[in-house]
Amino acid sequence: MSAVRDATGGRSTVIGGFALLVAALLAFLIADIPGSDLVTIGAIERALQAATPIALAAIGGLYAEKSGVFNIGLEGFMIFGALFGAVTAWAVSGGDGIGQADLWLGVLAAVLVCGLLAALFAVLLIRYEADQIVAGLAVWFIGLGFGPFISTVVWGGVSSPSLPNIDNVVVPVLSEVPIAGRLFFDASPLVLFTILVAVGAWVVLFRTRFGYWVQAAGENPEALDTAGVDVNRVRYATLIFSGIMAGLGGAVLSIGIGSGFTGTGVTMVDGRGWIAIVAYLFGNYNPLGTYGASLLFGAMDMLQIQLQTIGISLPGSITGLFPYVAVLVVLVVVGYTRVPAAVGEPYTKED
Amino acid sequence: MLRATVLERIVIAIVSTTLALVIGAGIVALSGYDAVEFVYSLVYGAVGELSNVAFTLRQSTMLILAGVAVAVAFRAGVLNIGVQGQFVVGGFAATLAILFLTPLLPENMFVGVVLMTVAGGAAVVAGGAYGALPGLMKAYAGANEVITTIMLNFIASGVVYFLLDAYLRPPGAAAPNTESFPDYVDLPGFAFGSPSFSVIGFGIALVTVAVVYVYMTQTGSGYDLVTSGYQEPAAKYSGVDPNRMIVRTMTLSGMIAGLAGALFAVMILGYYSDPNTFPTFGFDAIAVSLLAANNPLGVIPAGLLFGGLDAGGQYIGFTLDVPSELVDGVIGLIVLFVAAPELFRAAGRYTGLGGDTG
Repeated sequence: MSAVRDATGGRSTVIGGFALLVAALLAFLIADIPGSDLVTIGAIERALQAATPIALAAIGGLYAEKSGVFNIGLEGFMIFGALFGAVTAWAVSGGDGIGQADLWLGVLAAVLVCGLLAALFAVLLIRYEADQIVAGLAVWFIGLGFGPFISTVVWGGVSSPSLPNIDNVVVPVLSEVPIAGRLFFDASPLVLFTILVAVGAWVVLFRTRFGYWVQAAGENPEALDTAGVDVNRVRYATLIFSGIMAGLGGAVLSIGIGSGFTGTGVTMVDGRGWIAIVAYLFGNYNPLGTYGASLLFGAMDMLQIQLQTIGISLPGSITGLFPYVAVLVVLVVVGYTRVPAAVGEPYTKED
Repeated sequence: MLRATVLERIVIAIVSTTLALVIGAGIVALSGYDAVEFVYSLVYGAVGELSNVAFTLRQSTMLILAGVAVAVAFRAGVLNIGVQGQFVVGGFAATLAILFLTPLLPENMFVGVVLMTVAGGAAVVAGGAYGALPGLMKAYAGANEVITTIMLNFIASGVVYFLLDAYLRPPGAAAPNTESFPDYVDLPGFAFGSPSFSVIGFGIALVTVAVVYVYMTQTGSGYDLVTSGYQEPAAKYSGVDPNRMIVRTMTLSGMIAGLAGALFAVMILGYYSDPNTFPTFGFDAIAVSLLAANNPLGVIPAGLLFGGLDAGGQYIGFTLDVPSELVDGVIGLIVLFVAAPELFRAAGRYTGLGGDTG
């Protein structure tokens, strides 16, 4: 299986790159070298937070594409996740005094709703062989329309009022450790969970039977079918998973780390679903590499604050564009990544 | 891209639209509004009065132009999702041309016509260049055009807003708008008497459709464009360089989108403003083009339909306080259904209405 060999070969590069990145960050943090004002613990903390929604959606999208279905609707599912997370938390609390339990219920609802929507989407793509790109775009348009619509029905405006978010998990003693203490032992549980998800997704994809099915469904569906595994069932599973992950990413944006739902313009998701697609391409379909790429885009998103601290003041309308420019640079430099062989082709069993 | 015969496509377009509207009305009812009133107001808002018709035609003008821009690209197998950005850049170039040349020239009708022509030319060049960029990225670096064009949409709006806010906003102005264009730089309203719609604008959209149709069906260059999208090996065999075709397609698509931007600036606004607040003609145009099966001529009825939906949607936003975003959602549903012709074939087989198309 050449796919497996590719993945293992890619892994050492990814791990090497990651080790290099961590070493560089540590050097910036500890040694007093030029540019160290740019890298502070606060900056890494913000980058980890900004990376979380992108990484969640990206890992979901990675599984779908690995299995041979391009879920280009990630952005739309994120909008629904952000919205339903906020709406549910608001509704179960009765509108005032939203507590932590309400917020967690909101996250759960976002995951369930998006899983359900993704199941419907999967039926259209797999059973009715819809054009994957066009149908995915449609999910985005539907989110852009119904997201602000539902918000208006619930709150009387396209955005929610300011809502609280999920508390950090503080581990006593360990949180006092320099650097790592603040980054990992006084952090949002969702940030930590996402790191675990990235590791777990790697293990499942490259070390379990299900992971091999996912890879085979994307590379050589006929062979998988011959081996007695239903290709389309694997694809249903990965598509629903990708909807769940994008929904979770959306909920993280609105009530996990953010402060409510914003529905103006292209909504608060603001292209993160699209960036997620580039994150897994850049990560070469490896969940760990994908997390690293998400961290890069998250850091770009937060660069404005860092530039200000070292005295470079650019208007927000320009610094807000850094992640998008980074995406373009990545796509042009990395260019063609080896897409799984059967992506975009509906699989019909030969009689 | 979507396998279906012409008749099937027409049926699919009609059924998709109806189904999406029915779902929309259902959601309206579920949200506690009056569904019958919703549908009535939608139609009344589109064609109920002369001023409503003018508004429908105004939106249709933009959607037909932007729709043709999308259709050119999709036809050639290039998924240009960046029409919105090319539209924004084109409109900005037209604005720059008008604002910089106006003080240098005398004030009269003739100069107005010259200015509008120059502005249109500037918009076509700028839109074409902004479209060529993702074309080059796809052709020579393998960068997926769906993603690059979406990123370039964000970048266009951000950069144009920045330039407008920093350099073109008159001192003391509260809103990030440029100065208004002089009175003589505007298209006449004629029968409709609407300040933001001109039959000439609608005519420009129709002429563009005709030119594109002739180019794609009657010229060798247009033929190469379409074949390289559908039968790359055949096109290669006849000596067509697919990379050059991608760049040419994206440039042409961006040029048309740029022209739409110029018309938006001159006919509708009469100044230029924060692109983040603009209507999303470039996205709705994707729905228009898909509904027309990416056929330039089909874009005209599809554009009229969506212009009506848009006008009706805004009308219900004012009168019924049903949020006008609902119509955006309905447009998304239409795109979703159009993407799945197999769904309708299955439904046709199930109900026995599909005839031999199944």
